Amino acid sequence: MAYPYVSDKEVRILSKHFGDPKQRQIDTYVERGGYKSLEKALAMGPDDIVEVVKASGLRGRGGAGFPTGIKWSFMPKEATKPHYLVCNADESEPGTFKDRELIRWDPHQLIEGCLIGAHAIRAQHVYIYCRGEFFETTQVLARALEDAYAKGYVGENILGSGHTIDVTVHAGAGAYICGEETGLMNSLEGRRGEPRIKPPFPAAVGAFGKPSTINNVETLCAIPHIVQNGGEWYRQYGTEKSPGTKLFCVSGHVNKPGNYELPLGFPLIELIEDVCGGMKDGNALKAVIPGGSSVPLINAEEARACKLDYEGCVEVGTMLGCASVIVMDETADIVKQVRRMVDFYAHESCGQCTPCREGTSWTAQILRRIESGKGTEDDLDTLMEMTQNMVGTTICVLSDSVAAPVQSSIEKFRDEYLALIRRGERVGAA
Amino acid sequence: MSDIPFKNPGWAGNTGEFDLTEDQVRGDDFVGVRPAHGGHASGAGTMPFMLAETNPETKLFEGEYQERFEKILTRYPDKQAALLPALALAQELRGYVSPASMDRVAELLELSPAYVRGVATFYTMYNRRPVGRHLVQVCTNISCSLCGADDVVAAFLRYTDTELGETSGDGNFTVIEAECLAACGFPTCVQINSRYYENVTPAEVPKIVEQLKAQSQGDK
Amino acid sequence: MAVTLTIDGHEVTVPKGTTILEAAKTIGQEVPHYCYHPGMSSPAMCRLCLVEIEGAPKPMPGCVTTVMDGQVVHTQSDNAKANRKGVLEFYLVNHPLDCPICDMSGECNLQDYVHAEGRDSGRSREPKRVFGRDDFGGDVLFYGDRCVMCTRCVRFMSEVEQDARLTVVDRGNRSVIDTFFEEGLDGTNWHGNIVDICPVGALVSKDFLHKARAWDLDHTPSICTSCSQGCNIDLHTRDNLIQRLKPRENLDVNGWWMCDHGRENYEWINRGDRIEAPLVRDGNGGSQAVDWKPALGALLGKAEGAGSVKAVASSSASNEDLGLLRALVEELGGGDTVYRSARADDEIVLKGFPSLARRKDLAANTAGADLIGLERAGNDDATGGLESVASHDGVLVVLGDALEDQDADFGKNAGLYVFLGSHESEAATHAHFVLPVTTFAEQEGTFTNVAGRVQRFWPGLDAPGMARPAWLILGALVAELTETDGPRSAAEAFNALATGVPAFSGMSYDDIGTRGAVVNEPVSLSGD
Repeated sequence: MAYPYVSDKEVRILSKHFGDPKQRQIDTYVERGGYKSLEKALAMGPDDIVEVVKASGLRGRGGAGFPTGIKWSFMPKEATKPHYLVCNADESEPGTFKDRELIRWDPHQLIEGCLIGAHAIRAQHVYIYCRGEFFETTQVLARALEDAYAKGYVGENILGSGHTIDVTVHAGAGAYICGEETGLMNSLEGRRGEPRIKPPFPAAVGAFGKPSTINNVETLCAIPHIVQNGGEWYRQYGTEKSPGTKLFCVSGHVNKPGNYELPLGFPLIELIEDVCGGMKDGNALKAVIPGGSSVPLINAEEARACKLDYEGCVEVGTMLGCASVIVMDETADIVKQVRRMVDFYAHESCGQCTPCREGTSWTAQILRRIESGKGTEDDLDTLMEMTQNMVGTTICVLSDSVAAPVQSSIEKFRDEYLALIRRGERVGAA
Repeated sequence: MSDIPFKNPGWAGNTGEFDLTEDQVRGDDFVGVRPAHGGHASGAGTMPFMLAETNPETKLFEGEYQERFEKILTRYPDKQAALLPALALAQELRGYVSPASMDRVAELLELSPAYVRGVATFYTMYNRRPVGRHLVQVCTNISCSLCGADDVVAAFLRYTDTELGETSGDGNFTVIEAECLAACGFPTCVQINSRYYENVTPAEVPKIVEQLKAQSQGDK
Repeated sequence: MAVTLTIDGHEVTVPKGTTILEAAKTIGQEVPHYCYHPGMSSPAMCRLCLVEIEGAPKPMPGCVTTVMDGQVVHTQSDNAKANRKGVLEFYLVNHPLDCPICDMSGECNLQDYVHAEGRDSGRSREPKRVFGRDDFGGDVLFYGDRCVMCTRCVRFMSEVEQDARLTVVDRGNRSVIDTFFEEGLDGTNWHGNIVDICPVGALVSKDFLHKARAWDLDHTPSICTSCSQGCNIDLHTRDNLIQRLKPRENLDVNGWWMCDHGRENYEWINRGDRIEAPLVRDGNGGSQAVDWKPALGALLGKAEGAGSVKAVASSSASNEDLGLLRALVEELGGGDTVYRSARADDEIVLKGFPSLARRKDLAANTAGADLIGLERAGNDDATGGLESVASHDGVLVVLGDALEDQDADFGKNAGLYVFLGSHESEAATHAHFVLPVTTFAEQEGTFTNVAGRVQRFWPGLDAPGMARPAWLILGALVAELTETDGPRSAAEAFNALATGVPAFSGMSYDDIGTRGAVVNEPVSLSGD
């Protein structure tokens, strides 16, 4: 069940043991069927595992939604050089808090997923890159990993299968951009966490220059279940193009914020009004960001039409991203929140590409000026056009992520900007 | 929060429909005390490195910390990859990453000092100057901002008697804003040294500040 | 294997693996860029070289995208230009309007690109971020506000000099180039190159600071004379003075680089205390300036029956000068010709381009001197070795060696002592004739470098007074003695050399061109 509130609309696969401290104990995990999937996987060939994952239609849960089975199939079929599996636990997208819960309540689920994934891509070493701020969470994972080593689930000759897979937990040091897969690899290598150009792709030149695959925590946590139950089983949930369940992180102006595991395609308005107990203080819904701060805002009308899967979000002009649903009611100050998000991007930009390095802080400066009542209507035109120069022109998409909230809020909440520009009036207080 | 049943044991967050102690939520009872030498090498690079008690003169590295450093080196194909854990260990012992620390870590890993400076300054969590015993990092990103994070910052500044980014006169507190801490369902989230304090409202701030002031030596 | 693609409507065929940017160069299309440099890695981060490729979902960086058969690329389409216009606006958001006080003005890529393709005016009304000026040590000043964060300087130090002294500090728009605190660039040997490769005026030379405007400078191709590597350089001159030296690209010799030792060693060329007329000494400590014809006539008169010849040269003299010195010595009856030059204890190799080094031999033409038949004399600091010469009683010819370690009695006993030099020397007190010669910067000629490559240099300065190239003077003397015509150009002087010295046989100025040509036999420097 998700945490800290439970809904009977949930389908509890990954989050089944949230809120149960016993699940961290390896004996409990094994008792409940844990590491059986690993045993099964080790007896399968790597390519067979990839086929199962392909059949499930699992898509990367870190935000990009790229089919995981296909990603794994990019790896060389022979490990003439070391292969690496890297687990992206650098959860930093504003609004997202699912990976932390997955790791702190069910660390062995992640470890098992990593081991199966490593076997599927012929990797002998897994790096779990946890963001530096996750001190307590990382301690839980490190302890669980110690137990897994002690019981022979990790390391040499796992369960007598002849396969050796090592896992290392690596802590970051505070940089959102290290959540970008190539930035993460650079950070892992002891460099500045600056994204790399693609091509070459990680499956050809990845961590330490070797073929690598980077997967999100939630993606890897789904793997033991898929391998155990089969691809078709996974497809019973969700939609045809977006199969399976997803952990939705709901935050903002709802009564019961938290994580909820629901089948993809779930209607957004039902999530807000039913699962999350409705709007706080009964206020009216104003805006929703359904996929973390990097996706466009939608207004209440669009929210009512929105189905929470990859395609459904695109239909209403936004994206599912990592499914972090940020709910804003009538008291929300859209201009302030957009400015805060842009401040975040300006703070986190790595600084390599000029459109991002200069554009993020310039955008933040203009928004601050508008907030202080010194904006002009020309500024809105400048923002629309200038942020468009930040889309598709950089090494990574942090730059594009600034355009999303800025452009969508100017288009849909122009009156809030104009109130500040024309009358110096703020709409909303939060 | 509204009138949904709310349980907040200690500072570990809203446990909603679950009946949990703070230790259970944080996992402290499961983790226990991790030894200075890092325990198993697979997790040796991941110990809390934002601590209240530090000594800028500590040698890098000796004793159990040297043992931990050597374990960390075994997990990577080259020395450069141990740079982030090495800087974290230096900060764990000395409280911040000074030019001398950068130079020493560069020497240990056979990197140029300028290169180490470039890496160390890229990341937010390496303090470039000493901070108060308790580094209070209040998330003011969107989800917490929607739920009153700015008021929490103001409350901390008031009760610790500091300016934003400055260290209090008694050396106890530095208060800064932080980016999303990935606890958005528990607004406002505040990270103090290596611990998360969830569901903080202005009402809780004076209690937290008192508790920190009274904290004994050696606590996190 | 070759690939054929279309760039801006032109069909281009290049080897597989060529980048679009390099392919475009072959048809004369320079795609604007900052961070790319052929001598270093390509991070593709400046985003200026984005080109439109038909079928690609977004613009691709030309510096790292390799060509594919049938690709259709547009570097001048509306989309490509709109991209550059957009990116250039971002560059100018924080870049200060320093052109009036910036050394780079006139040779600045940002000025040029914005003028060609930028917006008429930027839209930013916000205060600019300020970094200020930082002394990086060595010859380098850093104006952080002007930096466009191309990181060429960081990559040069890290990949080419392989002494990673520079780094990017902080991130986002707080990022700035810096050294490790006070360590700076002191002790490095190639840091001058980062000033060359900085596309804007962020990294400037202290030596050149506010000295001259780029558009006032003339550029003349030449060869560095500070060691035997023979780096190809350009003399940048104004007011008949060298203002600075810059490396010239030659992938067979020095790549795109030159060392700091050579780069800073130009002030001697600007010395004003030159001998400006042929001087005839009267034996009582006095000199009289005379015209060339009477001077040479008197010299030849005195040479008759004056005895055996000893000659001292410097291996900084050109092949043509040294060749004609040998010819004169032969015509006067033959004799020893020695040269002196300084040598260092060690080589300073540029690790990222290892065929380039600041060589032990600190003169430009030692290999030439060896091939032409001169013998090395003296110590590694270019002193001594002239005991028998100093007191020689026959004909004594000195060319280009300033004899700084010798005293006023040098050549006192000589029947005829001819001193050819650019500056007076105490050791020329007893010279019968002091003849003014040009420096390499004031004449045409060639040097032979450590690898046996003969390289041409051209005059960038006017010679002072009546100074002439040594080959012309010596050639005139030889012509008188042999009753033939002397060489009328450096090319003719070289051709004479090619006839007489097997190593140069068959070579000519046309073959040598601006890239140089290697001699016919392996070369090893004497004493090496």
